[in-house]
Amino acid sequence: MNPSARGPEPLATRREFFRRGLSAGAAIAATGGIGAWLLDRHPPGDFGRTRSLDLRRDFSVRSAGPAMAIARGRDRPGMLRRALAAMGGIGRFIATGDRVMLKVNAAFATPALLGATTHPELLAELVRLCRAAGAASVVVTDNPINAPESCFELTGIGAAARSAGADLFIPGPGAFRAGTLPSGRLIRDWPVLYEPFAGVTKLIGVAPVKSHHRAGASMTMKNWYGLLGGRRNQFHQDIDGIIVELAMLVKPTLVVLDGTDSMMTNGPTGGSLADLKATSTLVVATDAVAADAFGATLLGRTFRDLPYLVRAGESGLGTTDFESLHPARVPAPAS
Amino acid sequence: MQHSKARSPGLWERAIGACALAVLAAVLAGVCIQQARFDPAVMVAAVAPQAAPAPAVPGLLDQWPAGLAPMGGAETFAPATLSDKIDGKADLYLSAGFVSLRDQRVKLSGGQGSWTEMFVYDMGLPANAFSVFSSQRRPGAADAGIADYSYEADNELCLVHGRYYVELVCSDPSVSARRAAEALARAYVGATAVAEHANIGAEEALFPPEGLVAGSVSLVPSDVFGFDRLKNVFVARYRVGGNEVTLFAAKRGGPGEAAKEAAELRGFFVADCGGTETPAPPAPPGAAIIDLGGSFEAVFAMGPYLAGVHQAADRDTALAWLAVLDRRIGGGKP
Repeated sequence: MNPSARGPEPLATRREFFRRGLSAGAAIAATGGIGAWLLDRHPPGDFGRTRSLDLRRDFSVRSAGPAMAIARGRDRPGMLRRALAAMGGIGRFIATGDRVMLKVNAAFATPALLGATTHPELLAELVRLCRAAGAASVVVTDNPINAPESCFELTGIGAAARSAGADLFIPGPGAFRAGTLPSGRLIRDWPVLYEPFAGVTKLIGVAPVKSHHRAGASMTMKNWYGLLGGRRNQFHQDIDGIIVELAMLVKPTLVVLDGTDSMMTNGPTGGSLADLKATSTLVVATDAVAADAFGATLLGRTFRDLPYLVRAGESGLGTTDFESLHPARVPAPAS
Repeated sequence: MQHSKARSPGLWERAIGACALAVLAAVLAGVCIQQARFDPAVMVAAVAPQAAPAPAVPGLLDQWPAGLAPMGGAETFAPATLSDKIDGKADLYLSAGFVSLRDQRVKLSGGQGSWTEMFVYDMGLPANAFSVFSSQRRPGAADAGIADYSYEADNELCLVHGRYYVELVCSDPSVSARRAAEALARAYVGATAVAEHANIGAEEALFPPEGLVAGSVSLVPSDVFGFDRLKNVFVARYRVGGNEVTLFAAKRGGPGEAAKEAAELRGFFVADCGGTETPAPPAPPGAAIIDLGGSFEAVFAMGPYLAGVHQAADRDTALAWLAVLDRRIGGGKP
């Protein structure tokens, strides 16, 4: 049947008009009511209650300029002292009254000899040097998601920090704030370590050289992963991307890369002394990209084998050409 | 009485209707785009900001060997929380069929602070347990003679017991700590019944014994040679005259499946790795040798087997090992 043959539809009666209007209004009101009922105005955690912050932090000392030292030896405290001396002394970076944060790698509750975490002897010496340079306070922190107290104690980091005169900050849920990296794709409204940064004027990252099953290598740049809270394991989908974004988020005063014993395989946890190789090197640098580019060589690789280093270099976050910093080479002391 | 008059919708009514439909379509498109985009922040709203403490679980052993006592309760981890414990190494286990992890620390009495952490990974199947065991095996590690497969490397003892992969990590490499780890391992194996044991004898027999690096036979669960569609392949390292090469073999459901995977791997080396096919070798039939500019790959299928040579230094080396595999798989051995 041809529809046009039916002619135009008739206009509704007044009663029909009101009936339809009331039905439509009820439907709209019900839909809106259900939406309002389901709306979660306060998502889990504190992150829905606070405005996401731009948490970029720059702790670099511009007047010090780029600097790097590569010390050889087996004695971590000694290598650290000699490397810093070759860079003009720690006073070039830490001033009287500074409040210093040391971001360690305390990710696993394993003994220091396995090389999966920051070595307590190195940490203790760094705390002492900062104190000797006039630092008003030194706080040591990391965010190991699982059993943080055990991680700090069984690694020896907690005892080393306390004995050398530093405060230990073990993050609880309230230590994080929703942060956004303005140019970031991954760090958006994400819980980022916030509380221990209050009043901090200098930041030093201290990390061992390790192979990493996902990222290829875990060194000073990957160490910033511990600034993230939440279910951060999903960033493993784009591990190179998150490492680069973390490098955009924080610019440290210094990084200390411990390659005294490098974890060549089975990282980042390791587990066996057989995973370690005595590479007898410690790097101190203002440029984490340069430090890690050198660290890659300790693992028998180059920066080109680690996509996050390539991307960080291309993004201007540092230089993969560490030789361009004319690093001071500090030989092992004659025994 | 006539209550209604006939009329058609006006131009404005049509325009408003079209606009409403356009707005609804835009909303739908926006929702679809937003949902498709990776946005980890969505997960922040879905879960607590910090991992909840792992619930207490029964200890790994009901009775501990003499001189050993638990330092605390056991912890348990599921696939979603495994990385909380082992960070970036979780992928290794997840890709191999990981089901759960239980771990517990044990203190040695009189051991001057020595302790051992015992990790028990339930990998679902004995083959999966062997896969994670073999892929992490430390070179030169001594066989510990416990359970289906085991080795001891300095401060660590690792074993496969049926579907379970067990790691015992000592806080120091002292003799007392290592003996404690061995006692724990034996106690766990004795106390844990398994339905099926791990046995790769048949797969191991595919590889010739001459030149084989001891303990190098391993099962790669996924992403074999960087090819994400190639899974569950046995590989073995060979060292002859200072040169190293890797052989690989896998038994598939039938000849068709093996041939299809061989063709796909061949295509991967050429299309994705920029390789060039070299003249076909005389045997086995259908085999290919691909020049990757510095190393050579050989691939073939024979019956239900997919096999080949990985990272040979030159074409002659690839040809020689190809002939060895041809005899091994096709010549009645096994």
